[in-house]
Amino acid sequence: MVKISALRHVRGFDVARPVSIGVMLGIMLPLVILPLLSIFVVGTRKGLGFFWAALVAPEAVYALKLSMVTSFWATLFNVIFGLLAAYVLSRYDFWGRNAVIVTISLPTAIPTAVAGFALLALWGPQGTLGRFLFPPEGKQQLMFTAYAIILANIFVTFPLAFGVIKPVFDTMSRSLEEASATIGATRWQTFWHVTLPSLRGAIVGGALLTFARAVGEFGSTILVSGNVAGHTQTAPLYIFAKYNSPEPGSLEAANAIAIVLALLSFVIFSVLFFARDWLEFEAQET
Amino acid sequence: MIAKMALAPDADQHVSWAPEREQRTGVAATVQGVSKRFKKTRVLEDITFDVAEGESLVLLGASGSGKTTILRIIAGLEQPDNGRVILHGKDVTDLPARERGVGVIFQAYALFPRMTVEKNIGYGLRIRRRPRKERKRIVNDLLTLVRLEEHRKKYPWQLSGGQQQRVAIARTLAYKPQVLLFDEPFGALDAQTRVRLRREIRALLRQVKVPSVFITHDQEEALELGDRIAVLNDGHLEQVGTPDEVYNHPATEYVATFLGAANLLLGVITGNSVEIGSASLPATKETARFREGQSVKLVFRPEDVCLSKDANLPEGCRRLANGVIEEVSFVGAYERLNIRLDLTHRRQFQNEAPSYQVTINTPERMTGVPIIVTQPKPEPNATRYKAGDRVAVGLTSFSVLPNYTLARC
Repeated sequence: MVKISALRHVRGFDVARPVSIGVMLGIMLPLVILPLLSIFVVGTRKGLGFFWAALVAPEAVYALKLSMVTSFWATLFNVIFGLLAAYVLSRYDFWGRNAVIVTISLPTAIPTAVAGFALLALWGPQGTLGRFLFPPEGKQQLMFTAYAIILANIFVTFPLAFGVIKPVFDTMSRSLEEASATIGATRWQTFWHVTLPSLRGAIVGGALLTFARAVGEFGSTILVSGNVAGHTQTAPLYIFAKYNSPEPGSLEAANAIAIVLALLSFVIFSVLFFARDWLEFEAQET
Repeated sequence: MIAKMALAPDADQHVSWAPEREQRTGVAATVQGVSKRFKKTRVLEDITFDVAEGESLVLLGASGSGKTTILRIIAGLEQPDNGRVILHGKDVTDLPARERGVGVIFQAYALFPRMTVEKNIGYGLRIRRRPRKERKRIVNDLLTLVRLEEHRKKYPWQLSGGQQQRVAIARTLAYKPQVLLFDEPFGALDAQTRVRLRREIRALLRQVKVPSVFITHDQEEALELGDRIAVLNDGHLEQVGTPDEVYNHPATEYVATFLGAANLLLGVITGNSVEIGSASLPATKETARFREGQSVKLVFRPEDVCLSKDANLPEGCRRLANGVIEEVSFVGAYERLNIRLDLTHRRQFQNEAPSYQVTINTPERMTGVPIIVTQPKPEPNATRYKAGDRVAVGLTSFSVLPNYTLARC
């Protein structure tokens, strides 16, 4: 019998190190790494020519573009709103402040399908407001358009930028802003020259996180967009539609787009990861 | 240390950093009857003082005495409940911080982390939209003044604490502040740097002639930095005066004990003397403001006591009582003696040998009133005091304060 403790060190070589790393990778492999690798395998198994053709198919290009554009506007809105909300909620104390913080953070916990239904229930043709603003017989509809996708993205990614920016605001020393004020700056000048530069890292981080989440949004967009190819079909919806299509080669087409989305998120999270030093550097400075 | 001063000797030949109007005459800043409460806690009560042009005033107080709040009220970062703040004759009480033109040097300097030294210093001019050429000239002058020319492109975190502090000062001087306010400027530094920096700042302020207010809890710092010292205790001013006045003539017991060590004896006014037990200390000048029979406190510093082994005290030394030396300890530059005063002896007849009604032999039977005395290090062949010696005790300087203790409680 070999004792466990004897296994730990063999002539100064720490066995625990390769063993624990191996176990960790062994768990990750079937759960995360293999699925990701297989989309590359499936997506390219009909050859790179087919892969390229699937990418530049008009509907695919449209879906990717639509995803980017809607995610961009949702990100822009949520970063600006997140900045405002973080400023208000860390600078001022008012009645119900904590309730507001909880409410802002709520969309993280709400299932995305519920978010989609909630939007339909408000703006849809039968919805509480939509009934009057966008009646079924009217020409204008808000739901089942690109705007609906933006709304859904905003709803789902609402707390992300706020969540990144608020802690930086909280830990930022008030004396920087006070110094700026005593030097003679207006509130706006102080915000622009002093506060905002200190938040740069948090804003970039929050925006990337929001964008990554919005590009991948599926559950709410499938409900509010209408999922019309070449019109209101985002990239994840395109993948889903192609997967369900009986046409030959559609599985590979779905995979081609999946590869693009996977690479995009990989790039975004690499940036976030390697920017962490930079982000922490800011936090320590302020 | 002074020779190594961090200032360029010729920096002030063509520029003054003080505000142009009413330069060097009269009152720069007035705090008038300022009171402040936070919720239910009284922080400041009826604070009134002036800062003269070119003067440096130190607000000295323990933590929680309200000194930071006064500074923030002058700066406009806090609003007083009552009272006015007047800067160079203009009532600024209702003006926001940015319209007051005061310079605040924050405790951790609050330099803008994303700006270089140059940009930090030029910030005040930039937001005032001064022409680029003028900005550049002023920033260059200030960099020379605070001797940071070679660090102009650096960021604050690349500088030492002292350099950061000089940037913070230059940043306020750029817009010719009405008054400079220093919030515990040496709090974050080690003891040696602290001493060096406060000499640097003192020299810099003499050069730029901007009136300044320091806040500190360090009495040594206050004595060295202040042209005048305002002693704060629990939200009210105890005394405002020159370092000499507050140290040698403390107006209250708090001032006496907060600035350095002090002996306190309870006494009663009798004629032109203070009577302490059986001892009587002639004090015509000091007792003039008291009425006969009033209860007073006699306050004196350990270094203001003179001793003599025979009955003859030196000239200028007023006899207090007899005493017995209980303990002598050597503390570097001086000797500290614990003395027990005999304040219960009966009145002496003429030519009678002095009596010493003090026992020190057995700890449980020690009698007499203890005081602490410091004496300069004795010369090698001088007579030395040792425990058990009987001495005559006199005072060269002391203060007589009303005994308010009961009334205040």
